[in-house]
Parts: sequence; structure tokens; C-alpha cells
Amino acid sequence: MSRVALGIIVATLAILLGGGPDAVRGQAPTGEYKIGVLEPLTGNLAFEGKRHMEGLEVVRDLINERGGVMGKKLVFAVADATDPTAAASEANRLITREGVKIITGTFSSRLCGAASEVAARHKVIYWESSCVDPRFNKRDLKYVYRTEIDATGFGWYNIEFIAKHLAPRFNLKPNQLKVAFLSEDSSYGQGVTESARQRAKTEFGMQEVMLEYYNWTTLNDMTPTILKMKQLNPDVVHHIGFGNDAVLFWRQSKEQNFLFKALVHAGATGYGGADFGKALGNDANGVFALLEPGPGFRLEALRPEGQQIEKAFRDAIQKRTGTYPFGAHQLAGAGLWLLKLVLDRAKTDDPEKFNAAVMSLDMPVGSMINGWGVKFSEVGQNANDRVQHYMLQWQNGQLVTVWPEEFTTLRAKWIPLGAWDQRK
Amino acid sequence: MDPARRLGPAQIDVLAQLAVATVLLGGIYALIAVGLTLIFGIMRVVNFAHGEFLMLGMYLAFWAFALYAVDPYVVVLLSIPVFFVVGLVTYVLVMRGVIQASHNVQIFTTVGLSVVLQNVALVAWAGDFRFVRPWHLSTVIRAGSTTFNLSQVVAFLIAVGLTVALVAFMKWTHAGRVMRATAQDRDAATLMGIDTDRVYRLTFAIGIAAVGAAGVLVAPLYAIYPTAGLQFVLLAYVVVVLGGLGDMFGAMLGSFIVAAVEVAGSYLFGTAWKEIFYFILFILVLVFRPAGLFGQRGAETLGV
Repeated sequence: MSRVALGIIVATLAILLGGGPDAVRGQAPTGEYKIGVLEPLTGNLAFEGKRHMEGLEVVRDLINERGGVMGKKLVFAVADATDPTAAASEANRLITREGVKIITGTFSSRLCGAASEVAARHKVIYWESSCVDPRFNKRDLKYVYRTEIDATGFGWYNIEFIAKHLAPRFNLKPNQLKVAFLSEDSSYGQGVTESARQRAKTEFGMQEVMLEYYNWTTLNDMTPTILKMKQLNPDVVHHIGFGNDAVLFWRQSKEQNFLFKALVHAGATGYGGADFGKALGNDANGVFALLEPGPGFRLEALRPEGQQIEKAFRDAIQKRTGTYPFGAHQLAGAGLWLLKLVLDRAKTDDPEKFNAAVMSLDMPVGSMINGWGVKFSEVGQNANDRVQHYMLQWQNGQLVTVWPEEFTTLRAKWIPLGAWDQRK
Repeated sequence: MDPARRLGPAQIDVLAQLAVATVLLGGIYALIAVGLTLIFGIMRVVNFAHGEFLMLGMYLAFWAFALYAVDPYVVVLLSIPVFFVVGLVTYVLVMRGVIQASHNVQIFTTVGLSVVLQNVALVAWAGDFRFVRPWHLSTVIRAGSTTFNLSQVVAFLIAVGLTVALVAFMKWTHAGRVMRATAQDRDAATLMGIDTDRVYRLTFAIGIAAVGAAGVLVAPLYAIYPTAGLQFVLLAYVVVVLGGLGDMFGAMLGSFIVAAVEVAGSYLFGTAWKEIFYFILFILVLVFRPAGLFGQRGAETLGV
């Protein structure tokens, strides 16, 4: 049988079996519009990169059910960005071989810098959904945008929570609080920690009792650090963990009976990842992680259009993975949805017109997935106060939303953290 | 003065706990290094894929626990024959072809093997962090003000047992004597009628069995992921060089020295410094005592 005949038969079968154009909702898109997607799908960062892919694919399908982008079906050219070198060379390949005019990605602060550099050189739009390196938007690159806040925003929110929610519940003034800063040494960890330190000190006069950075990939024992901390007796441990280090710190703190009033983390790694709960079960109880919204999040707190897309997104992730969306899903998903909103407005991928559309978007908090709003600065950074973030807490095997309280039905518990065996 | 450095009763408790942490961490390093030093000592091959066999051991513990709820301490018995066979197969398929080749070729081969194993694990089991949670996880024994993690105590005891057993095996059995003879002079051993290929096969299999068992034992303590081996393997090289190539007791002492440097460095100067200190130690040893702290002078060139 000739290849052409075989192709026709396969195509016919595909259409008959339901793979044909979806005309159920919205106007059926005609033709395809391809964007480049860069995520780490193998190597050290793959565990989060794959979740980003899930979030992107779910939102791509939601977009296509609603008419696609610029009247066309949205499709991906996917590339594996294992490390910064691969991120750069794959970005190059997406642009020169696949001919994409827009690239989105990349989860990690290690990757986004290298990839966006290449895109900017080719005058291709770079749409970052997750990396939070503060330097990203400070390089004077054109057509480079970020939908998520940067690491300094995370530090800002963490200190906001410690000063305005935790301190009153400890019956202490913010300037009476002793804070120990511990962090893995990536640009993410340093960005969050340094901005938190600065705000804690200058705005609230908190007492910094310790600052320590470490490389999580070679960390085998945290007992020495914990023993040192124990003597410094902090009220709050501000710990940015990545993976194994978060589990190691928490488990060994329990072994050493190290007691403190609260632990606050930020981001989807370490304490903010599902693996932390899996590793520790109910022993994880009480840890705070600044993230995108989780269980307990009140849909009614959003604006009508925000409620609609948030619900569709949450249901689609639930259907695909069987769980509430993880941070990686939410960052990638919200980023892609926002790209669609911009393309709807720009109606073209011409960088100048695209840029004008980005700058003209002005949506209040509660307008889209995660309850986010939109207002980009001139350097292409979405605003801290529009990209609403939430404090989640591990409660009996689940990360649930506990703050700001107007957005959630659930409340923070174990404040201050009691003895290790009484957090039930 | 920094309150962490003031001396008092609390400080003595801290010192005791730091000493315990050193011994227990050293036990884990020794467990990993003993197989490496064996292969290094007898075959004169630096096995850069050593960490990946450790990782496979961790995954064996994970899957046995996740699928059949088998406790890692049962799996460890099973892991020895399993990894013995894995070692044999790896030797026949990969190592035999390069055993006579130059060191460069051997390095490329084992690094290649390491990358292959990492990626096979990634494709087969995804990049997630996985954890084994048996009932005895983070069971703690308290003695006075110091605490001992049970899993670490077990790992330590087995490391000591394994080292003693291997030393005894090398010293007093015929197979051990044959292995030492091969290490000293491959050609002479061949002339004496020793089947060196068989010796290497056995050595490699024993080394891999040891590191596979080590992987099972450390599985409850650390996250399991495809590149988990890298977390320990650099350290294992330091330990082996420190202890002297092929010196089993040396590897054990080297482990405790590295652990002590790591624990003291982390406590006094911060975690970020620990690698600086033990790599400085590593360089000093290479410069002043290239045969290792406990190795015989000239031993580093034996059989090469």
C-alpha cells in the first residue's frame, strides 16, 4: 500500500473516531498556530518540568475549546531544556527550525536567563511563566515578559505574612521576632531570602539571628546546622528548601527536638512540593509555604470571569491527574492563559503590536486563573500586587490555603507550633 | 560573642551530639566507599558509575516497599545476590572489554555507564523524589542528651560488619589471596596460573553487591531520584583516596575523617564551607601522601 493511501485511511479513521475538529464550544479554529515550549523534561529538574507540561497541555486544550488563539488551533513545539546550555540551544532550534515567534517556559531560574537571551537576539517573544530570578527583567532585553512575580515578591509576601499574621498570634510585635534565614543557594533561594531579609529588617525591625546558604545537591546531614540554630532559639525559621534538604531539615529537627514557633517557605520546591507530604505524612503538619491557591480557596472571592476559568482549569487538572492543581500546573497554566488574553487583544504575533497589547492590559486581582490580575511594568514584569499569592499550610497530608483569610474557608493551625508529637 | 560558640554544659551536649552525627554519617560514607575501594584496589579501575549502583539499590528498596510492603532490612538480604548478579552482568557486558585498556578509556566507559543508568532510571521511573517510609523511619534512640537515628545506627553497624568481613575475606580465603596477588601484579598472577578475568569478575560483582546493599540501607534516610548517586559519589572518591586505594580499613577511617570535617565545618563555619574543607584535605593528601593517609608508599602505582 502506498504511503499516501495509508495516510488517507489513518486520517479518515482518526476523524471517524472523534479526533476531528472540535466544534462543540466556541468557534471552531481553522489552521494551527505553533508556539515553542521549553521545559526541563529530563535530568534533575524534570519532576517539576513535567508538571509544567501537564498544566500547559490542559490550558492549551481549554484555549482550543474556546476558539484557539487568533482564530487558529494552538499547538506546541516542545523542547527539552535540561540545563542552561540545552535551554539556549533548544531555544535556538525552536526559532530557526520550527519557526516559532513565541516561546514559553521554563520552570527554573537556571534556565530562563539563557533561553530568553537567545529569544531576544532573534526578536522572538519570550513569555516566562515560572522562573523567578530577579535579574530576569533587569537585562534590558526586548519582548521578554514574565507573568509570575519574581523572587523578591516571594520574600515580600513571606514577611507580610510573618509580620501581619504570625506575630499577632504569637502575641509579639514584629520587632520582637527572632528570625533564622536558611536557604539553598540557587538564584531563586538567594533572591527570596535576600528580599525577605531586607524587608524584615528595614520595614519591621525583626531580629536576624542566623543566615546560612547551602548546596542542596551535596547535603547529607543537617544536624550541625540544627544544633547551631537550637542555641540561637529563633521564633521563625525562614527556610527556602529545594527537595531532599527540606525533608532532611524537618526530620532531623524532630530527631533533635528543635522547637520553634513557625517555619515559612516560598515556592513549589521543597516544602511546597507534593513530595514533602509524601515523605513525611502527618509529620509535615504545620509547615507554611507561599504558593498559588490550594484546597480551601474560595471561588466566590474571584470576579465572575475569574471564577469561570479557574473552575474549568481546576476540573481539567483534577480529571487528568486526580488531584488539586499543583503550583507547577498553576504557574504554567495561568501563564499560557494570559498569553491567550494578550493574543486575543493583539491579534498578531508582531512583537511591537504584541508589546502594545501587553502594556494595555489592566485587570484587577481575581480576574483569571489563581485569582491573579494583570498589570505589566515597562520591563515586562507583572506587578506584585496583582499576582496575588497565598500562604498554604501542611495539614494532615495536604497543603491547604490559609491566608489571606478573605480568600479561603480554612484557617492556619498550630500557631505557635507545639511539641513535635502534638501536631495532630 | 556568638552564643553558638560559648562553652558550657549546653555546649558539651552539642559536642556529644556532633560526635554522634560524625560517627553515624561516617558509617554511611564507609558503606558506600568500601565497594569502591575494593574495585579500585584490585582492578585499578575508577568506577564512575558507582553512585548509580547506589541509586539502583535505593530504587530496589523503594519498589519492594511500595509494591510489596517489604521492609528495607529484609530487602538488604535480597539485594546482595541481586546486585552480585548485576555486577557480573555489567562486568561481562561493559568492563571486560576495557579492563586492559588505558585509564582514559576506562574513565570514559564508566562515566558513560553512569549517564546511561541515570537516564534509564529517569525514563523508567520519572524524576520525582521518592521516599521509603518503613515503621522504624526516624525512630530515635535517646541516650542522655544525645539522639541516635535508628536507620543510621543500623547502617553504621552493617558498614563495620561489611568492612571486617571483606578484610577477613581478602586476608584468609584462597579467593582473597588470589585477588591480592592479581592486584599486585596482573602478569605474574597470570603466569602463576591465576585466571585474572575470573578474579576481576568476582571483584566487580562483590563491589557492586556492597554498594547495592548500601543503597537499600540509605533509602529510608534520603530522597530517591535518578541522580541521587551523585550526592554521595564525590565523597566516596575523597574517602577512598584519603584511605589509600584498596585499603578497606583506610576507607572506613577516611569516611570518619570526611564526616568529621563536614560536621565540624558545617557547625563552625556554615554548611556552604564543608566541601571547601574536605576538598582542601583531599588536595593536601594527594600532594603529601599520594598513597593515602594509611596506604603504603608506592602502592598507588601497583599493577598499573
